[in-house]
Amino acid sequence: MEVILIFISAVLVNNFVLSYFLGICPFIGVSERIESSVSMGFAVTFVLTLSAAITWLINNYILIAFNVPFLQYVSFIIVIAALVQFVEMFIRKTSKTLYYALGIYLPLITTNCAILGLALFGALRAYSFIENIVFGIGAGLGFTLALVIMAGIREELDLADVPEPLKGAAITLIIAGLLALAFMGFAGLISV
Amino acid sequence: MNRRLKMLLIMTLFACISGGVLSLVYLISAPLIEANMLEEERRSILNVVPGIDSYEERIEGEMKYFECKDASGFVVGYALPAKGNGYQGVIKLMVGLTPDLSEITGISVLEQVETPGLGGRISEQVFQDQFQGIKTEPAVGYVKNQAPDKDTDIQAVTGATISSRSVVTIINRNIVKFREIL
Amino acid sequence: MAAKDDRKSVGVEFVKGFWKENPILVMLLGMCPTLAVTTSVINGLTMGLAVVFVLTCSSLIVSIVRNIIPKQVRIPVFIVIIATFVTMVDLFLKAFLLDLSKALGPFIPLIVVNCIILGRAEAFASKKGVFLSVVDALGVSFGFTITLVILGGIREVLGMRTFFGHPVLGEGFEPWIVMLLPPGAFITLGLLLGVKNSIDKRLKEKRSR
Repeated sequence: MEVILIFISAVLVNNFVLSYFLGICPFIGVSERIESSVSMGFAVTFVLTLSAAITWLINNYILIAFNVPFLQYVSFIIVIAALVQFVEMFIRKTSKTLYYALGIYLPLITTNCAILGLALFGALRAYSFIENIVFGIGAGLGFTLALVIMAGIREELDLADVPEPLKGAAITLIIAGLLALAFMGFAGLISV
Repeated sequence: MNRRLKMLLIMTLFACISGGVLSLVYLISAPLIEANMLEEERRSILNVVPGIDSYEERIEGEMKYFECKDASGFVVGYALPAKGNGYQGVIKLMVGLTPDLSEITGISVLEQVETPGLGGRISEQVFQDQFQGIKTEPAVGYVKNQAPDKDTDIQAVTGATISSRSVVTIINRNIVKFREIL
Repeated sequence: MAAKDDRKSVGVEFVKGFWKENPILVMLLGMCPTLAVTTSVINGLTMGLAVVFVLTCSSLIVSIVRNIIPKQVRIPVFIVIIATFVTMVDLFLKAFLLDLSKALGPFIPLIVVNCIILGRAEAFASKKGVFLSVVDALGVSFGFTITLVILGGIREVLGMRTFFGHPVLGEGFEPWIVMLLPPGAFITLGLLLGVKNSIDKRLKEKRSR
């Protein structure tokens, strides 16, 4: 089934972080601890799925219907920014603990290239509503996967002897490169 | 209320200015963008079917194709846009066929994101030229590391079997669909 | 006296974007396009210039209207302004430089969420005068562009044996294809960061002697 292919592709074969270079900023910033990575990952997955649904509706019922494709970027990003605001307000009202766990990360999600990237890719590939949503969930899980693996490695890295100039972002990037290399092994999983 | 109203007004104002400016820019650039796309299409069609004087776009069901005619109005071939999954992503092709669909007049790889230097070599002229004159029945095939001995086969790019196979599969699948329509 | 201080601060504002406050290597912003488009010099250069345009125009407008915008809606307004200029760049490329538009793909629209631009608008342009904001924008975006060109240069030379399309390494050199792929991007940027950090450290040691 097409939908399953889209899902597997988004999580493994074309991982948003390691293949498409989306969501790098939080990838480097948040992946120091597994806990925060899981929290961020789920927050992003949640926003991705909702944004996949809403941007699909906007694209098909407003942009295409009124023939204003050039308003895509402006409308998408406004929707995403508003969505993140609402999600933040909603979480603050419903679960204080969750809010404090995710707190600082939520506003950052607006500028996470993965959210806008997913909206744009979905529109470009003309997915159906369900396909777009599955795409969103898959992308979010792939993002979470990359983040958690990186966090696991970085927690171990605390005990290693990293050369001074490479400490921090530099070594994280190099490790990301090795992870990307490993994930390339998934290429060809979805063949013709 | 006054503060909220001001916020709403400012946002709406900026949204309107943005929409207005972009509409203007779009009006100016749209014809150019359209012309670019048509030119690209034209170039790829002329590339795959020889002897064209004019061509016409046709849509039947889900398939879009181009009926190519010579100066006297005879159909000299069809140009079929085709796409499918390659090794790393989507591959887009333009396939040129003879009027009876039994032979490929040429292919053009329009878009691909295969591995540079390996699968990416399907964009090289050498690989694409192989398809000229290839017979389509029973199906187009490929061989590895040797010169093909059947008139339906081409030689895959060394070290890039999957990308080459993807091209062949995309062609076959689309020809089958096309036959059903014509 | 005041004039001399002003001139010095303008120079400082411009140059800081190149080294001390380099958006990629120091502030760690705008990584996504950096990794994605530096497969060649021309791609990196085009992205860099696109960001120069968007950042400068956005900072200009934000600085001009900074006193009209209520605090609560400033982020959405900035975003709308940025998205408008990005759309203009996108349409421009599609109309006049179609090949580059295709090569850069979705990363042109992704300039909208490039933290550099929103960051500068929030931290600088919304607080300082028009002239300084433009200078800051130009400095930071040119610093960004140069870093992209350097990264693109390394990856293109090692991965395709060319620089800006011209062959620079002979046929004898077997290209490192990995440079054109994600792993190469990550590792090269990581090493570049390491190089900058060690240069900084050595400069600091020299200064303290």
